[in-house]
Amino acid sequence: MADHNDPNAVNSIFSDIDVSAADLYDIFGFPSADTDGGEKVVIALTFASVPQAGVLDPDLLYRIQIAPSRRIVRAAKEDQSLEALLKYFDGIKQTYLKTLKPLEVRVTIDADNRAHIRFINFPGGSFAQVVETNKNLTLKSPGGHAIKAYIGGRDDAFFNDLPGFFRSINYAPQFYHVPHTMTEARELPIPKTFLELEGNDLFNYDPANPNWGHGVKKDLPPGPLTWSGNKFAKNANGNYRFVYSGKDAQAGKNVNAIILEMPLAYITDAPAQNRIVNCWGESWVRKAANKVETIPDDPLWIEHPHALIDALTLDDELKKYKLVDTDGQAFADAALSEREDSRQMGANNFWLAPHFIKRLAHLGWGFGPSVSALGLKCAFDHGNSPVSVHRTYSSVIEAFPLVKKVLFQEMRMPDDSWNPKGLNIPLRRPVEIFIPNVNAIDMDTTGTWPFGRRLEDQVATRFLSVFLDMEAEFNGKKYHVEIMNNQAVWDALPIEPKTPPNPLKNDREFLGHFPYLAEPW
Amino acid sequence: MVTASDYQAELERIETDIAEVGEQALTPPTDTEKVTKYVNGLYRRAVHTGDLDALQTAEAAIGEAIRQIHFAGDLYLLRANLAFKLHRLADVRRDLEAEPRLLACPEGLAIQADLDFQQGRYAQAREGYARIIESHRTWDSLARLAHFEAQMGNAAEADRLYLEAEDELTAKEMRSYAWVELQRGLLDLAHGRHAEAGDHYARAEQAYSGHWLVAEHQAELLGAQSRYAEAAELYERVVERVPKPELQQAFGELLTVMGEHARAQGWHEKALAAYLDSAEHGGVHYYHHLVDFYADVRKDGAEAVRWARKDIALRDNFASQAALAWAHHRNGDTQKALAGITQALSSGARSAHLLSQAAAIHRAAGRAEDADAFARTAAEINPRHRSFHVHR
Repeated sequence: MADHNDPNAVNSIFSDIDVSAADLYDIFGFPSADTDGGEKVVIALTFASVPQAGVLDPDLLYRIQIAPSRRIVRAAKEDQSLEALLKYFDGIKQTYLKTLKPLEVRVTIDADNRAHIRFINFPGGSFAQVVETNKNLTLKSPGGHAIKAYIGGRDDAFFNDLPGFFRSINYAPQFYHVPHTMTEARELPIPKTFLELEGNDLFNYDPANPNWGHGVKKDLPPGPLTWSGNKFAKNANGNYRFVYSGKDAQAGKNVNAIILEMPLAYITDAPAQNRIVNCWGESWVRKAANKVETIPDDPLWIEHPHALIDALTLDDELKKYKLVDTDGQAFADAALSEREDSRQMGANNFWLAPHFIKRLAHLGWGFGPSVSALGLKCAFDHGNSPVSVHRTYSSVIEAFPLVKKVLFQEMRMPDDSWNPKGLNIPLRRPVEIFIPNVNAIDMDTTGTWPFGRRLEDQVATRFLSVFLDMEAEFNGKKYHVEIMNNQAVWDALPIEPKTPPNPLKNDREFLGHFPYLAEPW
Repeated sequence: MVTASDYQAELERIETDIAEVGEQALTPPTDTEKVTKYVNGLYRRAVHTGDLDALQTAEAAIGEAIRQIHFAGDLYLLRANLAFKLHRLADVRRDLEAEPRLLACPEGLAIQADLDFQQGRYAQAREGYARIIESHRTWDSLARLAHFEAQMGNAAEADRLYLEAEDELTAKEMRSYAWVELQRGLLDLAHGRHAEAGDHYARAEQAYSGHWLVAEHQAELLGAQSRYAEAAELYERVVERVPKPELQQAFGELLTVMGEHARAQGWHEKALAAYLDSAEHGGVHYYHHLVDFYADVRKDGAEAVRWARKDIALRDNFASQAALAWAHHRNGDTQKALAGITQALSSGARSAHLLSQAAAIHRAAGRAEDADAFARTAAEINPRHRSFHVHR
């Protein structure tokens, strides 16, 4: 027996794998204000600036997939049963698997940090070009369309209080050194909440340690990693304590990005009909075998059934890479998929629809009561629970009735500015927003979330509004996706600090022109 | 400009990691992240350089670290891995049981399956590997099952699994890729496919340059190809870099084949001294090398039996059973040898080496027909099985 040469000989319990350049952050998308020569859509995929801002990892391959489609017309009398919902998911699945043939922009980097960009399957003509990074470029398609491209380092366009979000879901690795082997100690079994829980010393803000969770971590305490209280915490003023700080955790940070501005006529033959530009991003890392240049293509895909399935859908180049991360809808991964690698499925997350319903119910039991405690109306049916509850579901049938309203309510916009043409465009609903996991840019809107995602959108806060009852009113105005970004709301609520959960604007001004994202730091 | 090899570059990164936190990482009040980084750095450096003394230093540091931090599951797992390398299987079990989570996490389950394999519970081992792959299809779980299949003589299945393991590895894991290539090369070598083995080893070097482990495999292959001078030159370089006694023994055996008995003697004595020194200090890691050494280098059957019994007391599996059988054979105790080799073969394990030993033992027992059958099968598996090879 190979005593000194078995797999144990190279096995390390601590990962020494650095694939962070594959960590996708966000995909932004909105109609360009520049309509000279026709409508254009802006799509920006951002990811970790590794090895550094402006220098991209040559072992990575990035894809932006684009599927133009018509706007879905909602039936006048819609069946909102679970059965109908699952049927809807199945319809979406069939559409993405069989009907839509996504177009693709594929980017790799060579050893000289030049980008190899390819436009694949575009009605306006496929082409490839080797371009310089960190420069504004205008590429010409075979059909003569001008495509603006920027590949390189920029300021991180996302502005949010990520530690606040992690505090709200009791995500231990943000606050503690969590051993690799303690897989159960990620999201601790403590109710998720917007308000601090009385006695939740594991996560409540510690004024003596203000940087805790902002880079500072503690050792996990030996005691039970749970909470046994029964009420929200209140301070001497009788106010609840907000788990969010409103501070920008991304301030001063850079990303690498692929930013494109493409004529709509380039990506669809029918721009007048295909008003929705669905897009999502993927990162792939080169397989080891492909790194060794002389190695011929592995016959594995012939021999192995999993690979065989891939072989039917992947081209020769992609067979040499491994999918690592996907990004479509903001917060679809972080909030709804528990950040699990196995759930990185991009547009294909219709497989996860049942999980989505159960996860939403789990979040609802946490966030719902804290919304109600503040005096706001909640869309989740938590049965008037006075405090957040930690509850998980194994049955979709059980979870669905509680989240039905959350799933099907229209996400009201604060005003009509999102719909500058005044068209009859239905408001979007969470069920449509998160399944499939794509950024669906409506070209007849401004592209503000959830009709796309503009750089200036505070989507982290807009996501939280999913749990609000959009039929309720505040100061005579119905709730809307921006309500939690309204300082007046927080001034009126029994909570401290009196701040919107996340910052209202980015640390750097966005540009009014391509590439839109601010210069890197 | 001279570019550092991949091996050297990684070693420098490990050294930097260790230096960044320093020995003071273990001085209270400790920071879990620094403690973990420090002891993991020590462990990685010891494994990377093949330095057993450094591995013992790492073990002491891990023990200290375990005392320092509350949730030491990762460190118990690290120490279980370390104990496994040193064949201290009882210590492996003890560390796994120290933290109940380890008995259920994929890494812990993998080591438990390794333990089953080492302790001769073959069905449980295979089932354990298969179960892990079902839930965590990682390169190392696939490689573990591949290794199992290779030992059981299922070379095609083993290579298929190794290939699948490679497909899971990315450009950020080239050392692991090179290691899998070495295993595929060993599979070819065990079947006499020297050219194919050479291709795998070359690919390993290309994937991860400058690793002594690759050079050592290449040296063995050169020896098997009767390219003795080249093999000796390479072995000499390897033993200068890495003073592992098993490499010194292999070099000595090559020199013996080359007729350079005086030089061989020097390396053999060096290797034996290191083996015995380890055993005197409580190490069990080299027991099986001592069996091989006494049986095949010294041809001292009694000593071989003595060490083989110690080894089999730790891990009763086909390899230790066959080693004891071979020791009995060397010692002229044919009946015991016959019983031992029969027991080893009943495991299902198949290799040209094992079968050729079975042939010799049966022949000594006067069972010519059986001996011929074993010898034929050995030759079918590897027509070149009598060429130079290393006891791993």
